[in-house]
Amino acid sequence: MASNGKHSFFIFMETISPQHDHHLKLTRMTLYEEKINHIKNSCYSNDKQLKTVIATRNFIDKNFDKDLNLNLLSDVRFTSKYHLQRLFKRYYGLTPKQYIIDKRIQKSKEYLKNGLKVTETCFAVGFESLGSFSKLFKTKTGKSPSEFQKEQVSINKLNSEY
Amino acid sequence: MKVTLISIPVRDQEKAVQFYTKKLGFIIKKDAPLEGGHRWVTLVSAAWQDGPELLLEPAPNHFEPCKVFQDALMEAGIPWTQFDVDNVDAEYERLVGLDVEFSVQPTKMGTVKFAVFNDTCGNNIQIIETL
Repeated sequence: MASNGKHSFFIFMETISPQHDHHLKLTRMTLYEEKINHIKNSCYSNDKQLKTVIATRNFIDKNFDKDLNLNLLSDVRFTSKYHLQRLFKRYYGLTPKQYIIDKRIQKSKEYLKNGLKVTETCFAVGFESLGSFSKLFKTKTGKSPSEFQKEQVSINKLNSEY
Repeated sequence: MKVTLISIPVRDQEKAVQFYTKKLGFIIKKDAPLEGGHRWVTLVSAAWQDGPELLLEPAPNHFEPCKVFQDALMEAGIPWTQFDVDNVDAEYERLVGLDVEFSVQPTKMGTVKFAVFNDTCGNNIQIIETL
């Protein structure tokens, strides 16, 4: 597609009249735009698949605190769960499960910063066990939820003092 | 090892500080003098102040290959780096209002929307929103 596009661009260049030449040079695509269009056509031309994964991600963003699993997500878009998992990974670079974990950790940082207790935060972002939440939080951020919260409190205190 | 810093080549550090803080909204994290009037100056996102730092590096003025590379990227319209935003359309409107020049208007591609602007310091910069 892209090489055809480039080809037709040069044919177009040969057929235009001189007075249009100046305008064409100004609006000519950069190399970056040509490459991007090539990638767009070769990797992102399936609108139906894109709609499915984008809707799935939006659904996760709105329901990260619920009991989300692949069965539920595939029901939302009427696709098979393995197909959905493959598509999501293909377009976002990570699986729905990994995305949900990242989303929950990101949200839990916000809640901890705002002063919600560790246990409350754990359940508010959709984890069912405090142990698995704390372990995941430490793996992803390098700190336990309570260490993270203490640090945030002292940063806030410092900011208000100085 | 941790990733905490990315560097961006600029022709004029002070001009870059002005553009990146006044127009883009970053804030200065570190600013220490070096020889010859240069500075070790890093910026962070106002909304993520413990996030990675952006080093404004005057390399193109002192190392010719860096200048050549930077110029070639600019000519080809290729972004030096990209920043995440919540809403590309809104950020595009805001920056156009501040006379920032865009080489790529907000464009959808796959699961992202992006746009590319000129940072007036020698680089194309891409802003991107995940859809």
